[in-house]
Amino acid sequence: MWDWLIAPLQYEFMVKALLVSGFVGVVCGVLSCYMTLKGWALMGDAVAHAVTPGVVLAYVLNLPLAVGAFVFGVGSVWLMGWIQKQTRIREDAVMGVVFTGLFALGLVLISKTPSNVDFLHILFGNVLGIPTWEMVQTLVMGGLTLGVLLVFKNDLLLFCFDPTHARSIGINITGLHYLLLTLLSLTIVVALQTVGIVLVVAMLITPGATAYLLTDRFDRMLILAVLSGLGASGLGTYLSYYLDAATGGCIVLVQTLLFFLAMVGAPKYGLFRGGRRSG
Amino acid sequence: MRQPPSIALENVTVTYHDQVALHGINLALPPGTIVGLVGMNGSGKSTLFKTIMGFITPKTGRVWIEGLPIHQAQKQGWVAYIPQSEQVDWQFPVSVQDVVMMGRYGYINWLRIPRPIDRRMVEMSLRQVDMLPLKNRQIGELSGGQKKRAFLARALAQQAHILLLDEPFNGVDMKTEREIIQLLMQLRDAGHTILVSSHDLSGISTFCDQIIFINQTILAYGATQEVFTPENLNRTFGVPLPGIIP
Ligand SMILES: Nc1ncnc2c1ncn2[C@@H]1O[C@H](COP(=O)(O)OP(=O)(O)O)[C@@H](O)[C@H]1O
Ligand SMILES: [Mg+2]
Repeated sequence: MWDWLIAPLQYEFMVKALLVSGFVGVVCGVLSCYMTLKGWALMGDAVAHAVTPGVVLAYVLNLPLAVGAFVFGVGSVWLMGWIQKQTRIREDAVMGVVFTGLFALGLVLISKTPSNVDFLHILFGNVLGIPTWEMVQTLVMGGLTLGVLLVFKNDLLLFCFDPTHARSIGINITGLHYLLLTLLSLTIVVALQTVGIVLVVAMLITPGATAYLLTDRFDRMLILAVLSGLGASGLGTYLSYYLDAATGGCIVLVQTLLFFLAMVGAPKYGLFRGGRRSG
Repeated sequence: MRQPPSIALENVTVTYHDQVALHGINLALPPGTIVGLVGMNGSGKSTLFKTIMGFITPKTGRVWIEGLPIHQAQKQGWVAYIPQSEQVDWQFPVSVQDVVMMGRYGYINWLRIPRPIDRRMVEMSLRQVDMLPLKNRQIGELSGGQKKRAFLARALAQQAHILLLDEPFNGVDMKTEREIIQLLMQLRDAGHTILVSSHDLSGISTFCDQIIFINQTILAYGATQEVFTPENLNRTFGVPLPGIIP
């Protein structure tokens, strides 16, 4: 067992991969609590797909990928809001239309760009081959996102729980709404290297959902989500090394497994609970 | 010196995309009273609440909270809104204490790390509504009356002078209704101004000092025993309601 853990660490790429995916697991773990509680699962998926053309354009124009992702992330949300105002189509349908449309644009752009192997990495992640400067970029952006999330921890919680009250005591909830969207866009960029666009939504939801099954206190939920995000990233990366399988897929599989374990075993809300209530 | 009215509206008109929801509203609610806001569904009760909280800017007219414009009064934390039960996610992972602490956010620095005084205020507010022993309960594990009391404690921790309750008796059993009314009367006696809306007449005349009858505009406003008449009920609900007047 010890050997199983230590042996891969002689390779630099494994050390880097573990560092990056572990850190991504932590950042996503924190954000996923808010996504779960706000009911933004579909929103997360929508924004993750909608950033694709932005990432491609940024790559072509030699800008930081984060800039492209950010512009398209926030832009797509603005576009969804605008369409909803103009028509009588429901929010989920608007999201479906906008994010698939933007994702399609991204795919077309990819197919028209030379050297499009890089974009496969954006779609499916490539943490085992992450270059050092991208690793640094990921760590810095992730650190920034994590810092802002922790500073606004309580305001964001209030925003998720009772925006009316927040507003009635003069807290700027439009600001918090866009802050959370911005953090969502940034987290997606941070997670792209590890799991890719296709699976990033799992990172944004599953750890929070798992933790929600295990506790009914927010602070504990945060800790459990971070632990499950971190654990899944680490274990998933090792599995991917030994099985020679896609890293993003392995990480998400472990996360899903943790979710089902929590669902079966949770003391209070699990299938075999002995707890106080059945809800 | 005369105290300014708790809530004053001057010739307020509110529209939703050119559709008039409220017009010609003039009101001046005195401090330390319970005022019932009675009208049918769609008569503009919730719209009036949102206007008083500054969520809707009136098309014409002005709103004053204790003599100040709304947004200044908000910064002072003077107005508290107690949400309807259906608007709250009771599965949310917060305890009673966490919810009451949210009333302090306007006073705490931007990191929202509670100071000793905030903890004391939370404790005092919980005691005032008799919820101290339940402070560590997750909010979903409370009875209907306890849930309302938790949110009233939040309003007290906020040091709000004005409490707005939109249809607090919807889907609430008799015992819970009694409990809430009891507490509202205590808070009124402590000097709070309380505005309670209702789309029916269940018990409203028994504890409200004043009543506003509303249907897009104010049909009648005054002391309960003066305005609670068959004519006004008829004008408000459009049908005679025999047997309700004692
Ligand atoms: N956001 C809105 N957009 C358009 N019309 C609205 C909106 N909210 C309320 N209305 C309309 O305004 C009127 C008053 O509604 P409301 O204040 O909710 O009444 P009440 O709370 O007394 O049932 C109704 O006709 C309602 O359809
Ligand atoms: Mg209403």
